[in-house]
Amino acid sequence: MLTLLAWKNIWRNRKRSLIIITAITFGLWGGLLAGAIMMGWGESMVNTAIDRDLGNIQIHQPGFTGDRDVTHYIPKGMERINSIRTLPGVKAASGRTLVDGMAASPASTFGVRIEGIDPERESGVTNIKDLLVTGQYFKSNRKNTIIIGKKLADRLNLKLNSKAVLSFQSLDNSLVYGAFRVEGIYKSQSSAFDESHVFVLGSDLYRLLDSRPIVHEIVIRVDASNVMPVVSAELKNEYPGLELKTWRELAPEVAAIAAAMESWSYFFVGIILMALIFGITNTMLMAVMERVQELGILMAVGMKKGKVFLMILLETIMLSISGGVCGIIVGAATIMILSRNGIDLTAFASSLESFGASTTLYPFLPAGMYVALVAMIIVAASIAATMPAWKAIHLKPSEAIRTY
Amino acid sequence: MKKIILRFGAAQNNGSFFFSCIVGLLCFLCYASPGYGQSAKEIVAKANDLLHGKSSRATAVMKVVKPDWSREITTKIWMLEPDYAMILITAPAKDKGTVTLKREKEMWNWIPSIQRVIKIPPSMMMQPWMGSDFNNDDLVRESSIVEDYTHSLIGEETIDGRDCYKINLAPKPEAGVVWAKVIMWISKDGFLELKTEYYDESGDCVKYMTGSQVREMGGRTIPSYWEMIPVNKPGEKTILEYKSMEFDMDISPSYFSEQRMKRIR
Amino acid sequence: MYFLLSWRNLWRNKKRTTIAAASVFFAVLLAVVMRSGQNGSYSYMIDSSTKLFTGYLQIQGKGYWDNRSIDRSIVFGMEQQEKISGIDHVAAITPRLEAFSLVSHNTSTKVAQVIGIDPPREDKLTGLKKRLIAGSYLSQESEGVLIAKGLADLLKITKGDDLIIYGQGYHGQIAAARLPVEGIIDLPFPELNNSMVYLTLKNACDVFSAYNRITSLAIIVDDIRFLPSVQNNVREIAGEQFTIMTWDEMLPDLVQNIELDNASGIIMLIILYIVIAFGVFGTVMMMTSERQKEFGILISVGMKKANLIMITTVETIFISFLGVVAGILGSIPIIYYLHFNPIQMTGDAAKAFESIGVEPIMNFSTDPTIFLSQSIVVLIIALATALYPVLFINRIQPAEAIHG
Repeated sequence: MLTLLAWKNIWRNRKRSLIIITAITFGLWGGLLAGAIMMGWGESMVNTAIDRDLGNIQIHQPGFTGDRDVTHYIPKGMERINSIRTLPGVKAASGRTLVDGMAASPASTFGVRIEGIDPERESGVTNIKDLLVTGQYFKSNRKNTIIIGKKLADRLNLKLNSKAVLSFQSLDNSLVYGAFRVEGIYKSQSSAFDESHVFVLGSDLYRLLDSRPIVHEIVIRVDASNVMPVVSAELKNEYPGLELKTWRELAPEVAAIAAAMESWSYFFVGIILMALIFGITNTMLMAVMERVQELGILMAVGMKKGKVFLMILLETIMLSISGGVCGIIVGAATIMILSRNGIDLTAFASSLESFGASTTLYPFLPAGMYVALVAMIIVAASIAATMPAWKAIHLKPSEAIRTY
Repeated sequence: MKKIILRFGAAQNNGSFFFSCIVGLLCFLCYASPGYGQSAKEIVAKANDLLHGKSSRATAVMKVVKPDWSREITTKIWMLEPDYAMILITAPAKDKGTVTLKREKEMWNWIPSIQRVIKIPPSMMMQPWMGSDFNNDDLVRESSIVEDYTHSLIGEETIDGRDCYKINLAPKPEAGVVWAKVIMWISKDGFLELKTEYYDESGDCVKYMTGSQVREMGGRTIPSYWEMIPVNKPGEKTILEYKSMEFDMDISPSYFSEQRMKRIR
Repeated sequence: MYFLLSWRNLWRNKKRTTIAAASVFFAVLLAVVMRSGQNGSYSYMIDSSTKLFTGYLQIQGKGYWDNRSIDRSIVFGMEQQEKISGIDHVAAITPRLEAFSLVSHNTSTKVAQVIGIDPPREDKLTGLKKRLIAGSYLSQESEGVLIAKGLADLLKITKGDDLIIYGQGYHGQIAAARLPVEGIIDLPFPELNNSMVYLTLKNACDVFSAYNRITSLAIIVDDIRFLPSVQNNVREIAGEQFTIMTWDEMLPDLVQNIELDNASGIIMLIILYIVIAFGVFGTVMMMTSERQKEFGILISVGMKKANLIMITTVETIFISFLGVVAGILGSIPIIYYLHFNPIQMTGDAAKAFESIGVEPIMNFSTDPTIFLSQSIVVLIIALATALYPVLFINRIQPAEAIHG
């Protein structure tokens, strides 16, 4: 009976109901979107570094990260990559042969880290392929091709197809030299990285080193960041003799900045939620104020105070559920559309350079957050509506009527 | 031998002087093995051989000239092809007595001021020597001017009044050579390498080396004054001047020992 | 006339006015807190990063940054350094002489970055002393070195052992020294921890034959807002023969990270504005429809719609300004409180920050332009909502309005 009355009330003043529903809808939309952007942002922030070269987890022979001696390769590296790849939670794994050496051109010489890779597997763990600004990613079948960073290309005055000579220490301490043709030039966010990292085919490197295939570094991508600790623990268990580091240990500054920004985005989402609660509260306050007279009349004609209060509460809940459903539909649709193509962040900051996926934000929101946000809004709206209603029913009917 | 030292000299734009020396030595040791075949190759091989005996000893002054400063060091050099070398600095006073020793793949430095021998792992020379930079390919030149190139006679020209073969050296595809080509002028009489030009891929000459003041040293008639001049760095050059040279002395690998390095004068 | 009427109307229904103004008040408050937090986090990140090593500004020799050669060192006398210290808002300066050298102990030899420092000034700028884990910090008279822990481990050197430094000094002179290790420092980044050696500037000048020379003078300002003016003053004192590098040129990765974050921050801000707009709009709509009867009566007793529109518009303007001014006044103490009592981060974020030796706090910016810009945005939103009553009154039918 009371439910029916509340339902009728909602329909009786369609405009008011519509305003409330709209306010809740957009409030919820903002909350959902902000939450989704925050979640997506957390991923994209760290992905910049992870995608470029870090991966989620790296494995080395103990001592290699300190002295970077070419002889400290991972024993049975190739077999280990294959078994790591089959572990649950591991999305991709790739081995790198790393030597520090010099890259020379007629113009200049510069110290570089030479990364011998398996192009297909490497593209599963990092995105150098997507960062190419010119040329291609190991597509030619020629021997000795190299992909270098834009900054190094500028320094050494190298263009596509130019010759660069790499020199580095071999396994027996002698120096080896190899002429490479530039097949691609990449540009990442970090010019320091671009200046000092070059990529060649692992097979070309083995030939120059006169060795069977060896790897110094196994880079692992996990399915999702939340399984990283599990995978990492499992790998540690599996390969106790190897040194295992997560990207957080490899790049503590990136981890710190990401963590800081994540804390901040929680804070910002909090502010947005506060804003929407204030918005809804204010709207509800106004709505109930408008009805003080009406409530007075109801009480004057003999309706019990408790029932009046309950009626208002029911109305509010109905309204907030309607608004909540609309908000979820609009919010989820927005998130879906945005997550399909991502948000190109370069559009929002003029001096931000675009680097494909890592400067694109893909919002996503776990189901739990939807539920939490809707519940929060219904509670907020109910509190906002019942406060003035509570006050109104404590007025004498005559006063209430006269209030307006 | 001169080339090598010149090469590292010019190379070290503002990089590590001493490491350049070491690298220069390494390069040096790869100058060897005369080749025979077509005549252009033979000419280059003869010119190359002329400057390198089985063993040699030399006194040389190297001068690095920069737009705003220059520096001169006097050295004594002992070499035994292909694996042994020792360089002693005799001037300036501050660096006097510093010795670099290379035995096969190992290298040491003796620093008298702190009375210490430091072993230099080969990897060190290849470290990303941040910022410093032997700015050229030079240190990479572990290439053989004879073996790593295809030689062709492209003309005859006169340099310093001497009739010369003009020879084009095209690097073999996989050779560790940065140059797109090298052009050498070698005198018909005496096979003196009088001028060498180094070209990049856009066809510009990046630097050139000249040999002059031809005189008799250690029984051979060779240029004694070498200049390496980078084309696009005005005011910079490196000069190597031989004061004396000896070839094919009786010297054994055991001469190149850590003990001798500390005693040699 | 309108003003008077509007003013009276506002006072006549204080509760309504309060609710409407409150919605604007909270909007300003939240927008200011959000933006202040964003800007504060960026300046904190910049501040922390520059204090790790580079400083906000560096005076260097021309071409030094691209080609770290001691030959590009400069003579920058004490007198000039004193002048730089004396510039307003310069918090700290420190001169350095840097050179890459071999360092050796027993049979191990590594490449290291050897840096001559003024110990107390370096500590003031980078807090080097607090990273000491063994031995003692350098004094001006120290003849020894501080060595980074990673490098010390690689060389197997401990406090009291002699470290051999061997490299190239100024203008190609041989640099060689044997110096005792006085202390070991633990630097947060692997690259630094594997390569840094500190000694006094005086010793470094001797070892590298670079008498009275420095490779850089790092400068910290107390607030990034004053950087441009400090930079101008530095330029005047230093003259044209030196390069003045700014933090953004020296730390391009940080700039990129901040830009990336700022882009998502702006999206968050836009969402906040939308939520705010709907909150304010909902309040105004409810307020207007609540007054439907009042408007109807006023029009039927002969008030011109145009006049009524003027009155309500002026009312909205009053309310908006009231809300905005209250918002600014209300946010100032909050922001200042947060600025001087920054929020402590917890959990992973705190750990990540501590791992790089930075205090895990969330900082707030007191930049006055934030108050201004956010108030203006909210004011525009609030004034835009004033259009609704205009449209509403225009369409009102007095007879219907009176009967609701």
